[in-house]
Order: sequence, then structure tokens, then C-alpha cells
Amino acid sequence: MRLFKYSIALLCLSFLTGCAVGNQYDYQQADVSLPIKGTDKVSLGVIDNRSYVINGDKSANFIGLQRGGFGNPFEVTTSSGKPLTEDMSDVLERSLVQSGFQVNKLYFSSPDTSMVANVIKNNGQQKNIILTVSEWKTDVMMNIALIYDLELQVKDQEGREIASASARSTGKEKISGAGFQGQNSRVAVSAFETKVSRLFNNPAIVKALKD
Amino acid sequence: MRRIIKPFITAIFVMLLAGCANTKLISDVDPQVDISKMKSFHVVKFEKDNRGIEKLIANKLNSMGLDASSGTNKTPSHPVDVIVEYQDKWMWDLTMYMLELNINFRDPETNYQFATGRSFRTSLARKSPEEMVDEVLNDIFRANKVVSQ
Repeated sequence: MRLFKYSIALLCLSFLTGCAVGNQYDYQQADVSLPIKGTDKVSLGVIDNRSYVINGDKSANFIGLQRGGFGNPFEVTTSSGKPLTEDMSDVLERSLVQSGFQVNKLYFSSPDTSMVANVIKNNGQQKNIILTVSEWKTDVMMNIALIYDLELQVKDQEGREIASASARSTGKEKISGAGFQGQNSRVAVSAFETKVSRLFNNPAIVKALKD
Repeated sequence: MRRIIKPFITAIFVMLLAGCANTKLISDVDPQVDISKMKSFHVVKFEKDNRGIEKLIANKLNSMGLDASSGTNKTPSHPVDVIVEYQDKWMWDLTMYMLELNINFRDPETNYQFATGRSFRTSLARKSPEEMVDEVLNDIFRANKVVSQ
């Protein structure tokens, strides 16, 4: 009977944690095909504006939740260990270079607009591509849900906005059924590729980067 | 003790069976793009696919009145409006079944992915590859809501 109780306890534990602990998604694998080509020098910066990262509740490499058998949440982080915005910045730099642009990266220590403008004035180019991530996380149990709030801006060398495009989910957007870590990672990365490339295909952004 | 264990075991079985019958059909098409204006397609064979899914996709597109070819080359010998890529994932549960099918439409010039469709069906909700191809392509074309500029 003691063995039976022990087995039940182990079973409960495995359902509670299962494959849910320590999951990591590899956003560095993303391959964003941009709808534009160019040869200009541009600057690129990705700003982490997630409230729970700014107030210190979550680390900057937090990218979502994987739930155990009873819905109990475990944090998912980036495979690289880097902040999510750094992974995104690396991916977008590669994509812009593939599209012919010459890219220098900008780094922002806070999402404050005057600070952003100062960084652009000091280190930017004539065109500065800024992606602000106010939300980006997946929530995985039976399905993979994505919660996101992104804004893409093109700014001039004074930090003034030339064009912008944004995309946000209304609540949790179901993007697939859930599988194991590798599959969930691919789905999350693919969603990032889709959402970001859509922003780049906004007519105002296309015009700003072509002019 | 029995009174506790019975509902517990039942709950576990319900959860396991629910996991066997999960389905998702999701498409996302860029509203700046009008797919209905695109007439010629080339389906690129997924290198890991040895079941000829590329032919099923091309056949389905042809049956919709479109002009579709398929092959291993990413750049077809003739100009096309859309490059179609896909990934199929299979699992075993008594027999092999298609767990997931992703189909993507790309611009041949920039490689920009403007449409994507995904069907995910676990074992108890399985469908044939032909049916999975049908439902994903139908869903992509249904999801295309063009924004007037």
C-alpha cells in the first residue's frame, strides 16, 4: 500500500511538472524575410517595454509560460540566455543585412522617449528602425497562445517619427496546438517572424525605408 | 481511500484522452496582400518529406483553378506569383498520422512570407494528408481580408 501511495505521489509530481520545467525557446533561429530591399545605412534598436521586466518581476530573458498538468505555470526563457530584445535585435540585424541594408545597432537602457531620442541623436543614422516590445509571451498548455504588443517606428536622425506600425493581440491569440519543447519553440519563433515581417510590410514603413 | 482514488484516476484518463483529440486550424494572411489576384504557384518540396505532399498541395491549387507546379527547386524555371513552402510532421499511434501541416506563401522576389496556415490534429482527430492539405489551403484563402489602401 505504501508503494502504491508513493507511485501515486510520483505520478502527481510528474503531472505537475512533466515536460514543463526549464523550457527554452530559440529566437536566434528566426529568419525574418523582409518585404523590402535597400542599400542605405540604417540604425536598429529593440526596446524592452514589458512592464513586468521594467519593474523587475521577470528577467529580461523571460518569454512566456509552460503549464504543467494542472495548469501550474513554469517560466520559459530564451535559449541564448540573452534578453529577448537582444535575440530579436540580432535576428532583425541579419534580416536587414540580407535585404541589402548596412546596419548599426542601438542599445537603450530604458524605454523613455527622451532617452531614446538622445541615443538616436548621438549614435543613429538618417533612418533609425525602432521596435518597441510592450508585450511578447507565449502561454502553453494544450494549445500555444501568444500575447503580443509590438510597435515598429522609423525615426529620423533627430529621433522624430517618420512612420509607424503596430500590432497587438486581443487577449490570448491561439497560434497552434502544443507539443514538446522543440515544436513549441518553432511555433513561437515562426509567430515572431510573421508578426514582425507584417509590420515591415506596412505601406508607411515601406515608404519611409525606400525614400 | 477508494473514494479519492477513483475520481483521481478518472480525471487522469479524461485528461489523457482530451490530449489525444486536440485540433487547431489557424491561418494568418497579410491584409496588404490580395491572394485572389495571384494565379501561378510553385510548391517547393520539403526536403524531409518523402510522401509527396508537395504534389498534393499543387493538385489542390490546380483543382481551385490556379496554375501550380511542384519540385525541389526553390526557383522554378518559369516566373510565378507565389512560392509555396510547407512542413509536415508525423507521429506514430498504432499507425503513422500527420500531426501537423504548415503551409506558407512567399513572394518570389523578396522571399517575404505573406500568408501562413497551420493544421494541428492529434491522434483521435487525425485526417488524411489530402484532407489536411484541403483544410489548410481553404483556410488560407478564406482568411485573406484585404485592406483597401
